[in-house]
Amino acid sequence: MSLGTLDRSPPPFFKQGLSALSKLTLLGALAVLLMVTDNRFAMTAAIRSVLVTALTPLQWLAMVPVQWGQSAGKRFQLLETAQAKAESTSRALAEQSARAGQVEDLTLENKRLRDLLGLRERVATQGLAAQVLYDAADPYAHRVIIDQGATQGVQAGSAVLDESGVLGQVTRVHPLVSEVTLLTDREQAIPVLNTRTGVRSVAYGQPGLFKHELELRFMAGNADVQEGDVLSTSGVDAVYPPGLPVAKVVSVQRQAESAFARVQCEPFAQMGSTRHVLVLPPTGLLLPPAPAVPETKHPRGRDKTARNTNKSR
Amino acid sequence: MIMPQGKHLLLPANPLFIWSSLVAAILGNMLLSMSGLGRAAWVPDLLALTLVFWNVHQPLRVGIGAAFVFGLIMDVQQTTLLGQHALAYVVLSYWAVSIHRRLLWFPVSTQTGHVLPLFALAQALVMAVRFAGGAGWPAWSSLLAPVCTAGLWPMATAVLLAPQRRPPDPDKHRPL
Repeated sequence: MSLGTLDRSPPPFFKQGLSALSKLTLLGALAVLLMVTDNRFAMTAAIRSVLVTALTPLQWLAMVPVQWGQSAGKRFQLLETAQAKAESTSRALAEQSARAGQVEDLTLENKRLRDLLGLRERVATQGLAAQVLYDAADPYAHRVIIDQGATQGVQAGSAVLDESGVLGQVTRVHPLVSEVTLLTDREQAIPVLNTRTGVRSVAYGQPGLFKHELELRFMAGNADVQEGDVLSTSGVDAVYPPGLPVAKVVSVQRQAESAFARVQCEPFAQMGSTRHVLVLPPTGLLLPPAPAVPETKHPRGRDKTARNTNKSR
Repeated sequence: MIMPQGKHLLLPANPLFIWSSLVAAILGNMLLSMSGLGRAAWVPDLLALTLVFWNVHQPLRVGIGAAFVFGLIMDVQQTTLLGQHALAYVVLSYWAVSIHRRLLWFPVSTQTGHVLPLFALAQALVMAVRFAGGAGWPAWSSLLAPVCTAGLWPMATAVLLAPQRRPPDPDKHRPL
C-alpha cells in the first residue's frame, strides 16, 4: 500500500522477497554480463531478435501518426514546390537516360574485352527494395531501421544504396526488420576508389557537430587528391559491388608537421532524410569458391609466391 | 494514517492502467525517435520518467525487475549495446524506490528537483558505459536530456494520478 491511497490490501509483512539492494546487485551484474556478451561474443542475437519481433506491433502502432503527419505534409505542400520537384526529376531522368543508353553498349564491350583477356566476369547483384522506418535514437551511433528482414532474404553485410549513392551496410538482421549502419557512423569504413586517379583507399565515418562527413585516413601528404574528386566503391572488399558513387572530396588540408593529408569527403547519399533504399547482397557470396591449392611440398620461397598468386586472383 | 497536509486520499491504482501507461511510454519514445527528432540527444526519456513515477508511487507493483525488463526493451528498440539501458534503469529504479517514502511529502515542484539527480545519474551511467566501450562524447545537448525528463515530472504526476483522483464511487446498497 502506498502513501495516501485507499488501497484495501495490507502490505506484505513476511513475504518481502529480495531486498532492493540485492536486486540492484543481481540485476546490475546481469546487465553488465549482457553488455560484455553483446560487445565481445555476439551471443545475444537471439534475445535481440525475439524482443524486436515482439515489439513489431508496437512499432507499427507508433508509425501510424508519423505517417499521417507525413501524408498531411505532402497534401498541403505548395503547388510550386511540387511542380519544381517534378521538373527537376524529369531533367535528371533525361540526363540519366542518355547515360543508360550507353550502358548496354558498354556492358557488351566490357564482356568481350574481359573474354579476350581471360578475366572473370563482373558479378551482377540482385537488389531488394526497402523503406527506412526510422532513425535509431542513439546519439552515439548513426543507424536506421529498414522494413525488410531475414524473412525477405536480407543478409548481414549487405550494401544499402539510396538514389544518389551508397548509404551504408546492414549490420544486424532480425526476422522482419534490419539495422543499417550509415557510412557516417564512427565505426563504419568503406573501401573506395578515386575515379580521377584510380587510387584505392578507405573512407571512415566522421560524425561532426553539425555535419557528418567521411574522412580518408592515412593519405600521404603528397597524395594526388583534389577537391571535387569523386570516390566510388572499389569492389575489392567482396561486399560492395564496384563503381557505386560514395562521396565527393570537399576539403584537402596538407599540413607541414604531419606526414598525412587531412581529406574530408561529403557522402552523396541523403544520410538524414532518405526514405527508399536498395539492399544489395555482399558480392563475396556470389563469387565462386577459390580453387583448392594442391598440397605439395615446395621450398619455402616458392610456397609463398603460390599463395600470393592465389590471393590476387 | 499519517498524510501530508492538504492532500487528497487517492483511489487505489489500477494495475492495468500502470502497465498500459508503461507501454504507452515505450510508444511515446518510439514516436519521438520516428518523428524527425531522430537521434537528437536532448529528447526526454518518457519511459524512464514513467518508471520512476510508478517506482515512487507503487513500489510494490513496479520494482527493479520491471525496470530491468523495460531497459532491455529500450536497448533493442534503440539498437544500443544490450544491457546499457537496463543497467541505467535498474540504478534509477533502486534510487527511486529508496527515496519513495520521503519524496511524496514534498510538493510536486520540489519533487522535480529531487528526481533530477536520478535522471542525471542514469545519463552519466550510460555515458560512462559508452565511454568504456570506446565511444566519444555524444553532443553537448545530451546534458539537457535529464533536465527535460525531470521537467516533465509535474505533467506525469497530473496525468498518471488522474484516474486515482476521481471521486470515489459509493455503492447505493452498501453505503460503507
